[in-house]
Amino acid sequence: MTTAQLDKMRLELRRGVLVLAVLAALRERHYGYSLRRHLQESGIDIDEGTLYPLVRRLAEQGLLDSEWQQGEGRERRYYQISELGAELLTQLTGEWTTLNNALGPLLQPQKPASAKQTEEQG
Amino acid sequence: MELVKRYIAAVQRELPEQKRQEIGRELQANVMDQLDALADQQGAALSEQQVADVLKNMGPPQQVARQFCPVQPLIPAHLMPLYKYTMYMVLGVLFLLQVVFMTSHWLTGSDFGPISFVLGIVSGFIEDAIFGFTAITLGFALMPANTRSGQCQSADQWQPADLPPVGAAWQHISLSDVFTDLATYIFLLLIIWFPLGQQWFAGGEPVSSVFTLKSLQLLMWFSPFILLGVLSSLWQLQRRLWSRPMLSLNLIVNLAFVIILVLLATMGPVLQLDTANWSGYFSPEAVQEAIKRGLLITSLIPGYEIVRDILRLRKLNK
Repeated sequence: MTTAQLDKMRLELRRGVLVLAVLAALRERHYGYSLRRHLQESGIDIDEGTLYPLVRRLAEQGLLDSEWQQGEGRERRYYQISELGAELLTQLTGEWTTLNNALGPLLQPQKPASAKQTEEQG
Repeated sequence: MELVKRYIAAVQRELPEQKRQEIGRELQANVMDQLDALADQQGAALSEQQVADVLKNMGPPQQVARQFCPVQPLIPAHLMPLYKYTMYMVLGVLFLLQVVFMTSHWLTGSDFGPISFVLGIVSGFIEDAIFGFTAITLGFALMPANTRSGQCQSADQWQPADLPPVGAAWQHISLSDVFTDLATYIFLLLIIWFPLGQQWFAGGEPVSSVFTLKSLQLLMWFSPFILLGVLSSLWQLQRRLWSRPMLSLNLIVNLAFVIILVLLATMGPVLQLDTANWSGYFSPEAVQEAIKRGLLITSLIPGYEIVRDILRLRKLNK
């Protein structure tokens, strides 16, 4: 598999998950850069070209509340999950947990057939 | 921070007017936060080069603007199959109309030869096709964004049981084949009947036909088979999948074409030609001989289709 193919598949895999991560992270109030740092510290590296448009899109869909505030000598737009967003997050979390539980066993490395037989006989 | 201002302004120029202010304001706040964090990390103010590196890392202004406001395709992806189908049908009909128009123009006595006739069809079709293409594309582009594909074909009402049976690849009938056949049939009907129709409506004035009297009479008797060909094409257009009855009908039409072409080739002069202009180059006999051979060669096309359809019928009967 080429690097380009791998990158494309990684992008597809991450696309839906990032929405979940952003909604979950915004249970606390964040502005753009602080949200990015928070996600990075949680192990989710997301570039600004993806994160900032995504946050705006979620806000336009009514899933996030936002307000401009002065902070540390500069105005910033703060985001937090809305009531609608919280409802959606609950549903998506349930979906994610179900998927993750189902995927876990599937993603386990396959045991060789001989090892399976030994286990069954034992 | 002049560089940051220039960068934000460049991004804003690529954005729709109603979003420029808001996105520019937010982007600037985010960039400044990032620069401040970097400055805190190194414990000193950033150099111009470092600011440039951060901005370069964010990507070209056009790309950043597209990430905030992705370009919408003129035709939404879910409407593309319907768009292509509509385009094909409309272009096919425009081609037919152009054939009708040019043939009637030619038969009313306009002074142009076969090459001008073909060029007239091609240029007229291109002109109509450009108009049709523009109209359809604009129509689809202006269609409300929430229109679902297939609504016109009552997409929710389909039943799996109504689907045609699994067929071989050859069973699929291409639209271009159907429209080519239709254009041929309509052209033939026009050149046979147009002069007579004109004579009828013009009040008994004899109008010259391109055919000799004998061949014209033969072609008039043959016209029902041409009409059968038109019906066969319309049926193909509706079903788009070869079935036994359709193949049988096509076989009859092609058989009639072979017979008429061979009869025309053997019965003598087919066309009334003004050979006086060509006498220096060809003798009238040579021209009629060339027409005769041309007709025999042309009969090989429906002949081939007869053999093809018999083989296909056998495959379907298995």
